Amino acid sequence: MNREMQIILEVNVQAENFYDKAAQLGDHAAKVLGSRRRSQMTGLENIADSALKKTDIFDYIKRQTGRFPFWRQSYPGDKSQRSSNNAADDKGFGERLLYYLEKDLDEIYLKEICSKDRLNIGNTKEEERYERRRISLLLIRQFIHQMVAAYEFQVSMSNSNNGKKGA
Amino acid sequence: MLSPALNQRLLDLSDNELYNEAVALIRRLVDKEGCSPLPTSQVIGLLNIANAASYSELERFIQHQRERDWPASKRDIKTFYTELEQSFREMRNRRIRSEFHLLSDGLSPVDANREVDEIMAMLAHEFIQHLVAENGVLAAQKADERFKRK
Repeated sequence: MNREMQIILEVNVQAENFYDKAAQLGDHAAKVLGSRRRSQMTGLENIADSALKKTDIFDYIKRQTGRFPFWRQSYPGDKSQRSSNNAADDKGFGERLLYYLEKDLDEIYLKEICSKDRLNIGNTKEEERYERRRISLLLIRQFIHQMVAAYEFQVSMSNSNNGKKGA
Repeated sequence: MLSPALNQRLLDLSDNELYNEAVALIRRLVDKEGCSPLPTSQVIGLLNIANAASYSELERFIQHQRERDWPASKRDIKTFYTELEQSFREMRNRRIRSEFHLLSDGLSPVDANREVDEIMAMLAHEFIQHLVAENGVLAAQKADERFKRK
């Protein structure tokens, strides 16, 4: 298998591992954005797909968080209903997303992919740092795509439930 | 014109050094030194200059803002530009050469200065983007806190 295929495969393996977290954040997005602010999610996807570096995505999330109160809304409702107890889970949507992308994706999943048992990518040579940056971006893109898919699902479910209630 | 390899290196620096430094600078001013976040008018002015101008023009703008006789209620703006000028001066005079090792070998002093300015334009642009993004979050947090207190 060539190197590029190995990278794609490894990113997909890790994407399985963070799927639940992405789904939780998609649920949070559905709660605070609703169906009328879908453009916030498509905008984020577009930035993630076109960014040359991860901090372009972080800056975008911060700009939206600063600009719109709904990006700063924490998950509404009973805390005990949540499936995880991460310290960031009480935060507003933007801050929670940022925390996950900045911390966990690099510290857990990128580290795992670059480990000796996986792709064995160091952090000293110029090419290695470039490769790490590229994989980090691929992980963020995967995470955001999963999160947006969960958002779409939650929004469509709540729309169809509301339709049934109205019928 | 910067080479593709140097461009890659600058993107790497932006992700791994400048982002954290810009966040740390504005957080220190707001959280530790009690300054207000930079107001929107200043953010827009700074972004416009950083996006469009050469490094020497950006440097002049920062110096001009720092030297202005701000009223007491806007003293934090002076503090901000003083800190920003200091960070950029340190980056231009020392870090580009001896820490980041970005300068090409064997350049004449004139060419070296030109290359330093080109590199600084890009580094300053990245730094300001990161700083302004964090400033927006801090400003919104402050506004939310004020709203809750009312």
